[in-house]
Amino acid sequence: VITQASAGTESLLVIAPMLVALVTAVVALLVGHRPRVREVVSLAGGLGYALSAAALAWYVVLAPDAPGIATYRVGGLEAPFGIVLVADGLSAFMLMMAATIALASIIFSRHYAAHSGPRTFYYPLFYFLLLGVSGAFLTGDLFNLFVWFEVMLMASYVFVAYYGGPRHTRAAFWYVALNLLASAVFLLGVGGIYATTGTLNMADLARRLADPTAYGIDPVPIVGLLALLLSVFAIKAGLVPFQFWIPTAYRAAPPPITALLVGATKKVGIYAIIRLSFTVFAGAQVGVALELPGTGIAVTGDSPLAFVGAVLFVMATASIAVGGLGAIGRESIEGVLAYSSIGQIGFIAIPVAIAATTASSELRRVAIAAALVYALNHTLAKGLLFLSVGAIRNAAGTSRLADLGGLAGRSPPLAVAFFVGSLALVGIPPLSGFFGKFLVFDAAARSGSAPILGLLLGGSLLTIAYTTRVWNRSFWGARTPAVDAADVDSVQVAVVLALALAIIAVGVGFEPVYRFAEAAADAALDAESYVDAVDPAGGETE
Amino acid sequence: MTAFVLAFVVGALFALGTFLLLRRDLIRVVWGLAIVSQAANVYLLAIGGIVEGSFETVPVLAGHGEGAPETADPVVQALVLTAIVIGFGMTAFALVLSYRVYQEHDTLDASELGDRG
Repeated sequence: VITQASAGTESLLVIAPMLVALVTAVVALLVGHRPRVREVVSLAGGLGYALSAAALAWYVVLAPDAPGIATYRVGGLEAPFGIVLVADGLSAFMLMMAATIALASIIFSRHYAAHSGPRTFYYPLFYFLLLGVSGAFLTGDLFNLFVWFEVMLMASYVFVAYYGGPRHTRAAFWYVALNLLASAVFLLGVGGIYATTGTLNMADLARRLADPTAYGIDPVPIVGLLALLLSVFAIKAGLVPFQFWIPTAYRAAPPPITALLVGATKKVGIYAIIRLSFTVFAGAQVGVALELPGTGIAVTGDSPLAFVGAVLFVMATASIAVGGLGAIGRESIEGVLAYSSIGQIGFIAIPVAIAATTASSELRRVAIAAALVYALNHTLAKGLLFLSVGAIRNAAGTSRLADLGGLAGRSPPLAVAFFVGSLALVGIPPLSGFFGKFLVFDAAARSGSAPILGLLLGGSLLTIAYTTRVWNRSFWGARTPAVDAADVDSVQVAVVLALALAIIAVGVGFEPVYRFAEAAADAALDAESYVDAVDPAGGETE
Repeated sequence: MTAFVLAFVVGALFALGTFLLLRRDLIRVVWGLAIVSQAANVYLLAIGGIVEGSFETVPVLAGHGEGAPETADPVVQALVLTAIVIGFGMTAFALVLSYRVYQEHDTLDASELGDRG
């Protein structure tokens, strides 16, 4: 009772981002028939969401006397019986990332949604999507994670089908089919874990897996069940071989939504991989010995992490290759960007894989921080680029490279922003992308693996190749008729310029950002504090 | 015996669902998805199996005087209830979407839809 009273504000702050998203969604639905009110509500919601996420990050992680972790018990029920929402460094970092791109995207949408499609449902769906993302970042319960995934997906289904043309309905159908199948697999994994351990609360899971004999459980099936969950999260993140839905879905959705999908929804997959592998399953003592028949290549280790690391290495390597090579030959800017995001997710997964396989706790911490910094840069840069595509498509009516050219002369501010975004993707100092790339290379070098360094280098060269191609074909060269007639919207350009400034700001003032990422990595690895904060009594009621 | 029957049912449902998922007709694909998610639900229910009754599982009846009844694990029942609702909604949405695909393309054959354009 005493802890509840003193932790009242913090515990409300934990759910503040979700409350803001939910309330805004409902209010936007109610005032849907009045365009002016609707826009004010959605803008206020975007600002409120960003502010609540920032307040949560400040009070829980960044303030000098921050507790580092805060919980909200749904319905006042104690863990592990009730659902607990947990905000720690990792959740706060992901929320801030999502809030940044969501705010940019909602301001950008203000002009975008007014021009096309069934206008009434755009904003409510946007906030339901954001609600699902926030819930997934905050929940401390495995089945609840499944529910938030569904909330997030349902909104995204509608957005992929939003324009309702042949291309969009087709993309939406395959997107829905794939994700329904993934949901069934997710359920299988969740059910299996419940049958194995007798709990779904993540903290309780971590506690039981660390000491299986005390709870009378046999943790061996965990590795296979984790593989099921890993494939579901890989679908959300778009890692090869689950990347095939990305190009069609990203091209079908409205560009501001694609920016949100790539900036927030994709990162939910990465977050779930990090949270479950490192906070929940890392403590399990399960001998892993897998051998590829006939090759002599074997994976051995004494925790499920050995398995996660090996699988992620393979998927990330394939993602970097498929994404990089696929991006080079695309005909439209968003086609290039969609394939590029497959490759970039590979760059995020490599340090996660390094963290999973290394024995050194210092390298593990550095590698996860590297993955988070890279994810932040990818959200900012790729969000900026997708929003630029929206601005270009709005102005010139096309985003096909063949129909574009000379955009730099037509709209210098847009060109500057796009240039900054491209450079951040490539990793030029002093932009945020430089530190992302540098930290990932640093983690690879510390792990002492030459093939990984070579892979990262090859992937970076491919990034340079396709960004240069897009830049040359659309911003330089002779002006095409479409570009000549283009009328660039000033609000949209202002938003992409603001994101460009954010990329520069993160690069120049990198020190605090890195400290935040380190705090997030510490939170991901510190299962003990997580368990203590969620369930100090160890599931015992008086 | 129950366990054997349940295992067989789950396996048969997954096999049927996978078979339908791989058809070219979009409606069959939707049926396949519905069956696979139902298979997952049956699997979840099977986990909860009926156990020897004790007052620890049904504390409400402890002061009732009678013996403790056999019960199933309520947690999985709650999970399945949630999953059924979500699965029902999504199947309905997928059916509507397949109708919209038909309106836009005049076909429901996956091989005629292509994936470009």
